[in-house]
Amino acid sequence: MIEFDNVSKNFGDTRVLTGVTGEVNRGEIFTVIGPSGAGKSTLLRLIDLLDVPAGGAIRINGLDIHADKEKSLSVRRMMGMVFQKPAVFNTTVTENVAVGLRFRGVSKSETRKLTEDALAMVGLAGYGERRARTLSGGEMQRVALARAMVIEPEILLLDEPTANLDPVSVAMIEDLVVRINRDLGTTVIFSTHDMYQGQRLAHRIGVLMDGAFAQVGTPREVFTLPASREVARFVGIENIVEGVVVEREDGTAVVDAGGVRVRARSPFPRGERVSLCIRSEEIRIAPAIRGRRVSDGNILPGTVTAVVPRGPFSRVTVDCGFPLSSVLSWKAAEDLDIREGGRVEVVFAAESVHAVRQG
Amino acid sequence: MHVLRYICLITMYRRTIFAVAAVMVALLLICGCTGTTTDPTPVEKQQLRIATTTSLYDTKLLDHLTPIFEEKYNAEVLIVSAGTGKAIEYGQRGDVDVLMVHDRAREDAFLADGYGINRRVFAYNYFVLVGPESDPAGVAGMQPEAAFTAIRETGVAGGSDVVFVSRGDASGTHSKEKAIWKAAGFNYSTDVQGSGDWYQEAGTGMGATLEMANEKEAYTLSDIGTYLAYKGDLDLVTLVDEGDILLNVYCAMQINPAKYPDINTTVAKDWVNFMISDDVQKEIDSFGVDQYGQPLFYAAQDDWEKIGVTEAEVKDPIA
Amino acid sequence: MYEIIEGFLEAARLIVTFDPDVMAIAARSIIISFTATIIATLIAVPLGAAINFGTFPGKKNLVNLIQTLYSLPTVIVGLLIFLLISRVGPFGFLRLLFTPTAMIVAQTVLILPIMTGLTISALSGVDPVIRDTLRSLGATRLQFLVNVLKEARFAILASVAVGFGRAISEVGAAILVGGNIAASSFASSTRVLTTAISLETSMGNISQSIALGIVLLIIALGVNLAITTVQHR
Repeated sequence: MIEFDNVSKNFGDTRVLTGVTGEVNRGEIFTVIGPSGAGKSTLLRLIDLLDVPAGGAIRINGLDIHADKEKSLSVRRMMGMVFQKPAVFNTTVTENVAVGLRFRGVSKSETRKLTEDALAMVGLAGYGERRARTLSGGEMQRVALARAMVIEPEILLLDEPTANLDPVSVAMIEDLVVRINRDLGTTVIFSTHDMYQGQRLAHRIGVLMDGAFAQVGTPREVFTLPASREVARFVGIENIVEGVVVEREDGTAVVDAGGVRVRARSPFPRGERVSLCIRSEEIRIAPAIRGRRVSDGNILPGTVTAVVPRGPFSRVTVDCGFPLSSVLSWKAAEDLDIREGGRVEVVFAAESVHAVRQG
Repeated sequence: MHVLRYICLITMYRRTIFAVAAVMVALLLICGCTGTTTDPTPVEKQQLRIATTTSLYDTKLLDHLTPIFEEKYNAEVLIVSAGTGKAIEYGQRGDVDVLMVHDRAREDAFLADGYGINRRVFAYNYFVLVGPESDPAGVAGMQPEAAFTAIRETGVAGGSDVVFVSRGDASGTHSKEKAIWKAAGFNYSTDVQGSGDWYQEAGTGMGATLEMANEKEAYTLSDIGTYLAYKGDLDLVTLVDEGDILLNVYCAMQINPAKYPDINTTVAKDWVNFMISDDVQKEIDSFGVDQYGQPLFYAAQDDWEKIGVTEAEVKDPIA
Repeated sequence: MYEIIEGFLEAARLIVTFDPDVMAIAARSIIISFTATIIATLIAVPLGAAINFGTFPGKKNLVNLIQTLYSLPTVIVGLLIFLLISRVGPFGFLRLLFTPTAMIVAQTVLILPIMTGLTISALSGVDPVIRDTLRSLGATRLQFLVNVLKEARFAILASVAVGFGRAISEVGAAILVGGNIAASSFASSTRVLTTAISLETSMGNISQSIALGIVLLIIALGVNLAITTVQHR
């Protein structure tokens, strides 16, 4: 439905978007995740015609939205947008929500009804006569959502709408977005720097890094099969190991990482330089017992170099020739008698190792 | 009576931000929207603009005469009070219809240049030299020229409290003062102006100058009318009031319609004739007697020889 | 000291008894300055909006110039208007000199720069997110302008108050172009609070001056109070 064709944008000498290519499907929630400054806001602003791209095109239903100024207004009126900073007009809540309807010349009675419905939807029924400026940040953002939704847009753009909110408000907004998408079929583009939020909400995720999509895929793909070392790092994979493919058979490969051999799922041929991505959660730590063999798996002996408490868990780092981290409960760490300098074995399946080509 | 009510209204009116604007408009309508229009009198009431020397205004002589005139001629009199110099400037620019001034030399030039016509002399009185009761220059009872000389000598010598406050505003009184300096043998711009701190120019009207002289315990030259009108508030006393040079003659004249064709000639003529009419001459003679025990002005009508003008100038109405 | 106390007592009497002279002068001051303020608002707000919303070369310099004109001396404005509307001036044929209209013109010119400048500031003060929100809601160009102005309304109202305050409290221009005339009809008179205070003081009528001064103060405070009240709703 929305197509990005090598979209670029720069502000002065700063290149913010270097060539975004991708597609958002009708009716899906597409989250744009990426570190701060990656160009998420800029991309959403370009879609809403608040900025003009320097190069490339954005097409909605095949129409290049920036090509024809005459059509700008009608294109923009297909969309609603909520911004990162909660901003309300200095008037009543009802008046805030009604603004878009007034712009479209909707009748008074109709406006009244739609406004009430929209406020009810965001859980602010009865707030209508309050002055919007007196609301909390979370309430303001819900007003903003109602204001954007009351015009029944085909596309809802949300630019980090929960970045400044408390956890309860975040949950509320997320829930609303999911319901809007499910009940009304609105196509949602939601940007966030919080990868877990992206994961929670999205049908598909676009990982925006350095001004371009580093990966577009389902949350599962992005979180388990990151397309690059950078994506892997951004989606929270702590163990990334460099190596070279030395053997291959049936979709698994043996990778030599500084003398240590690691079995991994990999489509890459021999001699390919790869990065191995292993989630901490996928790694077990066991006492060192000689002669244990697990077919198709990895058992690497090593020395514990650090045990760092993290919430109710301990993060244990083991040197197996390269550092690998795992997360254990306190009890498990005690039972296994894990302490710095102790000898252990690090165990993980070949399926848990995701290899990406080194860029 | 309206103001406070509207202020209350303004503070009470909280419904919308346009309240203030609404009140402004209401006020505008109620208090007289005519205040903003150039032609505010729908009835055939003619407006007469007069530029007058401050002494005629500050003494309230004109305030006394104006209602009589307005009643009689169904006109509205607008008076701009300024020094003679400024009044003549207004006249020259055609911004007023009638001048009322007291500076014979400049009037003559004004008439000769064709800006003014039909001068009529309606009143006279005398200038007085007033000063602090202590009279540090010791001028009481002197002739004007001698008194001025004494003030200057003491002032220039320094070390005393002698200060002379001049109108310094090109008014008729200022002209007279300069004439006295000249008669006393001084060059005004070199011997008097800038000759020391003793000589100070106020640059303002007669009333304000008297107030200033009073504050500074200084000498000043004033027309007797304004001095008497202000006397109650002043500690200054009359020190010199005799001498031909102190004569002060007031005239009224029309601005020449040949210069400014749409000038208000009819009412202007009426005003000048009104000033020399028998009734008004009587009013002038008696004005202020109740309050000050002596007249502020003398009628010119019967004293034309004494004040050195032609009989026609005091008696013949403009045709 | 005695003079001041006596002045205040007399002033209180003049105000409490609604002395007709004092009230007429006050009413005239309000009418003239309100009219000037309204006219200046009608010019300054669209002008300020045009400058704020427009993009053109020299915009920054123009804004600087406007801000410099904030401190336009009132007598300079008075002199300028006097020369323009005096009989021999280019607009002499209008016969405006020594009329309330002339004073309105002078006060309008006087407060135009500050009101335009403050309007520009008011509009610049509108959160960029508010502007984006309006556009994202599908505002046409006109709807956008109107709503940004609406959002800046309190700041613009403050500029109106500042303009009115400057207009009603200035004396230099009022006396030059108005002439401080006390005519028999309300509408032809040009005596306002400031010029009257000036005259009454020069004539030694201190209590009258104090009364007029207090009325002027009450009006200025009242307008500001009204506007702050509205702003803090």
